[in-house]
Amino acid sequence: MNWVVVIWSLVAGACLALAAVHLIAWVRQRESLANLMFSIVALATAGMAACELLMMFPGTLDRFTGLLQWYNFSRWLVTVALVGFIHFYLRAGRAWLEILVIALRTLGLIINFSVSPSVYYLSIETLRTVDFLGETVALVEGVPNPTVLFSQISLLVLAAYLVDTTLRAYNRGAGNRALRIGLGSVFFVLSLSAQMILVLWGFLEMPIAASLFFTAILGVMSFELSSDVLRAAKLTRTLQIRERELRRERDLSDAVFNNAPGVIQLHSQEGKILRWNSVGGAPGHASGSEGRFFWDIFAKEDRKKAEAAWHAAFQDGRSEFEIDLPFPDGTARRFLFIAAKVEIDATPHAVVVGVDVGTQHRLAAEASRQREELARLSRAVAVSELSSSLAHEINQPLAIILSNAEAAQRMLASGSGDMDEVREIVQDIIDADVRAANVIRRLRAILRQGPPELEPIVAAELVEKVLGLAKPDLDSAEAQVTVSIPKRLPVFQGDRIPLEQVLLNILKNACEAFGKDSPQPRRISISCTVENQDIVFSIRDNGCGLPENSAEIFDAFRTTKPNGLGLGLKICRSIVHAHGGRIWALPNKGRGATFHFSIPLNSGKP
Amino acid sequence: MKEHESIHLVDDEPALLKALSRLLRSEGFDVKTYGSAEDFLKKGKIDRPGCIVLDESMPGMAGTELHRELLGRECVLSVIFLTAHGDIPMGVRAIKEGATDFLTKPAKDTELISCIKNGIEKSRRLFAEQAVLNTLRERHEALSRREREVMEHVVGGLPNKRIAEMLGVVEQTIKVHRGRVMEKMGAESLAQLVLFAERLGLTCKPAV
Repeated sequence: MNWVVVIWSLVAGACLALAAVHLIAWVRQRESLANLMFSIVALATAGMAACELLMMFPGTLDRFTGLLQWYNFSRWLVTVALVGFIHFYLRAGRAWLEILVIALRTLGLIINFSVSPSVYYLSIETLRTVDFLGETVALVEGVPNPTVLFSQISLLVLAAYLVDTTLRAYNRGAGNRALRIGLGSVFFVLSLSAQMILVLWGFLEMPIAASLFFTAILGVMSFELSSDVLRAAKLTRTLQIRERELRRERDLSDAVFNNAPGVIQLHSQEGKILRWNSVGGAPGHASGSEGRFFWDIFAKEDRKKAEAAWHAAFQDGRSEFEIDLPFPDGTARRFLFIAAKVEIDATPHAVVVGVDVGTQHRLAAEASRQREELARLSRAVAVSELSSSLAHEINQPLAIILSNAEAAQRMLASGSGDMDEVREIVQDIIDADVRAANVIRRLRAILRQGPPELEPIVAAELVEKVLGLAKPDLDSAEAQVTVSIPKRLPVFQGDRIPLEQVLLNILKNACEAFGKDSPQPRRISISCTVENQDIVFSIRDNGCGLPENSAEIFDAFRTTKPNGLGLGLKICRSIVHAHGGRIWALPNKGRGATFHFSIPLNSGKP
Repeated sequence: MKEHESIHLVDDEPALLKALSRLLRSEGFDVKTYGSAEDFLKKGKIDRPGCIVLDESMPGMAGTELHRELLGRECVLSVIFLTAHGDIPMGVRAIKEGATDFLTKPAKDTELISCIKNGIEKSRRLFAEQAVLNTLRERHEALSRREREVMEHVVGGLPNKRIAEMLGVVEQTIKVHRGRVMEKMGAESLAQLVLFAERLGLTCKPAV
């Protein structure tokens, strides 16, 4: 055994092993052509190594010549496969360069087989022996064929191709991987070229050792390929982890989707249902919903509404709408849908969430009904408690009227009464009559049921009308009234007669608040402003002011007046509340008090 | 028709007071008006025959409270309720407590006037009785202690002899006392003396 045999056998064996490994890799993964090419390169290199080894111990000249032919064939195969490998591995080569390299090499092979004895020699003279690595090996003596240059050019073009492809791959981001493979290959190709020229021209006394260089190239390529394998393994692990995470995400979203206490749907930008949950067996959850339009799950008469609302969400990003959702059992429940536009994978989608609000609506309606019932009951109780008081209130003026009338009758019958007295009696009768009428009006206001009947009201007109009604009280109180209402006050919706009553009551209270010891001049000012979507009436007087427990003045049966029922302000409050507004009173800094009441400008839903 | 008796109107409603007094004055009554029960207690004369027409619901003292107050005093006025929201229990209670009448507003003039006239009659009788009683009381108080003792036994139906035994004096002395009692009390017979004693509410000591 000697070093030459050891090295070349080792190279051939290693190459075969590599070829086998990568062939198996390619068989398992057919699209990985780089592996196939690598395998061929390795196989051919093994062939080269075998030929070289045999050529070092040829025995006869003819045998050497035959081996040289096959050696060249191996070289050709190595080159073609190397180009193929680079082509498939780096995927950056210029096609024309690749063709050129292969064409030149193929031409060299053709020449090799057509010219005798080979592309290297015009004629081979003798075999001589030299010492190489402590072994006597055979070298040929012959006339070098000029076509050997052709072979060298093809090597240089191959080197150029490798450099070019490497740089292109590097620029495309292939990184150090390309540099290592490309430049490593170039280095060994150029080294091989140099060695061959030196040997063929007889400057170096050693056999051609191309297989060693190609083995080095194989080593570089193999190193990269195994790095790839390692990378792939790592990637696989990462992918597995990601996949687990994705599955968990998916499970989570499925759990949310399927267990949400309401409707959740994902829609395409056309409105088709992509994903849905199956809660409550509502339509749109059953199988077969996929691909249907969202609005088709509703009753026919609701579809237009749903479609419009859905498109509104798509345009505005979000919309809410209430609609009846039909169920398979024939019932329908009120749902509140919230639709929102979302971007999924750069494509607009819609997410729609629906909540059953039927129960809330029913509860709210029930609560509202109970409140109304309670209000009606408490009104009934109040009325019953009041009935005696009211009887008093009505019977009192009736008694006054009757007695006055009877007195007048007697006077007239006896002829004793003077006309002045009779006139006075008649005036008293009229006053008492007005009083009785007022009591009845108040009573009607209390007993009145139902929501206000709305109509557009101009504040200035309302105030003017009430000032007309309150004229007798204002005159007898000798009050000076100033009104300040902006011209451009918006018209509001209200129930005219009750609102007049509110203003009238407050004005009458103001008149009574002056009492006997109020200072002259007695002033009442009425103003009207708009604050936060409310129209606010303010009635200010310089009378006796509010009682200490001013918070209770709006409760029933609270009165500071000897003959008052304590209902006026209570009624005012009921009326204002029925309009969705509020009423309050504040003491002035000086004398008197200011009463305010507000009516929402949009009191469409009192 | 002239009446010396006064009609006292008590009501918190000035307009009604005015109307009623017009009506009653046209009938010839002497009418006095009061704005509240307290006002009446301050100014009203209750020891003269007359009528009080009383509203129930008034700020301050109510009509029934005034009525009860008057019962505790030596009032000879007839009480007539005139109220706007009277009910049967209230009326029954008022009558039980001595009210002459219980009217509801608005009351017809004829009804009111006839009630007032009844009331005045009753008041007059009451006043007269009160006057008699007052006289008897004065006479009774004028008796000496021994005479009052003798009178009690006499109206109790005891013979003079028995009385003398009880008081530890001779029968003749009792006879003298008895004669004085009859004279001072203005009784013409034993029967009349017994009547007087009853009116005065004296406790007669019954014969054993």
